[in-house]
Amino acid sequence: MSKAFEFKNLIKTYPDFKLGPLNLDLAPGMVLGFVGPNGSGKSTTMHCLAGLVRPDSGKSEILGREIDLNDPAWKFDIGYVGDLHVFYEAWSGEKNLQFLAQFYPRWSHEFAAKLAKRLDLPLKKKAKELSTGNRAKLAIIAALAHAPKLLILDEPTAGLDPVARAEFQDVLFEMMADGERAIFYSTHILPEISRLADELAFLQNGQIVLRTGKDDLTEKWRKITFRLSRNNLKFESVVSHQHEGNDHQVISSDFEATMRQLHELGVENVQHSRLSVDEIAVQILKGANHVATHES
Amino acid sequence: MLLNLTDLSSESLQSQIIRQIRAKILSGELAAETDLPSIREFARDHHVSVITVQRAYEALLREGLIHSRRGKGFFVSELRENEKHKMAKQRLRETIAPPLMAAAEEGLSSKDIIETVNLILRQKGKKAEQEK
Repeated sequence: MSKAFEFKNLIKTYPDFKLGPLNLDLAPGMVLGFVGPNGSGKSTTMHCLAGLVRPDSGKSEILGREIDLNDPAWKFDIGYVGDLHVFYEAWSGEKNLQFLAQFYPRWSHEFAAKLAKRLDLPLKKKAKELSTGNRAKLAIIAALAHAPKLLILDEPTAGLDPVARAEFQDVLFEMMADGERAIFYSTHILPEISRLADELAFLQNGQIVLRTGKDDLTEKWRKITFRLSRNNLKFESVVSHQHEGNDHQVISSDFEATMRQLHELGVENVQHSRLSVDEIAVQILKGANHVATHES
Repeated sequence: MLLNLTDLSSESLQSQIIRQIRAKILSGELAAETDLPSIREFARDHHVSVITVQRAYEALLREGLIHSRRGKGFFVSELRENEKHKMAKQRLRETIAPPLMAAAEEGLSSKDIIETVNLILRQKGKKAEQEK
């Protein structure tokens, strides 16, 4: 079965920014969360995938088919929600959707109407009269109504109220249930993907710094407190360390490895707790590989 | 199948799924040969990722609590009463060990601990009777 998408050595250079060389792929039926600070290149990556930007070099495929900007048939298979929502402003949401429908063989008017109802979008209103949140809803419907196999979601819920956001989550979980779709989902609101995502990719300065299974990440990272009568700890698995006298607290990126080493040192009063995906992401993006030691 | 999954727990979603399905099987609430939801149905209904469910099911398979039939899905395994009993006991031993050690470290004797256990069981019995 071909991959939902695949980048090989993708490069896109701007005067002040370089994305890549990027190697990234996604299996069908899986959800990949895409995490990174502002300006790290997430949107550029997604633009390349959605055919909005032409990369300088490298290979990009969707469902085994090379992205060819001259023959956009592969676009039937993707649904893209991005930062810019382009509609015919003088037309109603409904008319905008009807216009789009004619380009997509698998478009379902029934699905679009149902989704508008679930998201509580007034379809009769002109696009220019829609609020930010309602424009986001219209963009979501426009991206999903043709039953795409790959959803490329770039901060799709920006501007949505909590109820619409929860409804959108439901829709995504439902769409994933047939196992034939994949989602590539970029967001700053990590709780939004902390349950949906199977895997996470972290992007920084145009480079993937980590690609991992979400459950592996949340299993391995722990906050550990303990007593030990020495101050310097240089463990590869310890990402941050602080202590007050003999009381220490570390954040470990490999719980078992850290525990083994701590037991060898004869630590006491060991307690540990899990970290949320959010907390782990902060640590990774702060520079997971260099050990920050705070004396207090 | 209704489970109670939460992000506000020190236990991972995967372990919550394993523990709750295991409890349903050992208590007999899920009878032998009951079919479990498919991995994807489960993920959809409980809002967890597919891999999370897959790993939870794999753990239950390894424990012998469920089995899979090619193309048909996952089913609760037939367990003899003494097997169930043994598994429940093993489970109790694993979960009760850390708090018991902590209690011992805090200076409670085995007599104190046994008294506490009996007290809890008595209270639970009373409560169950009141609810009837």
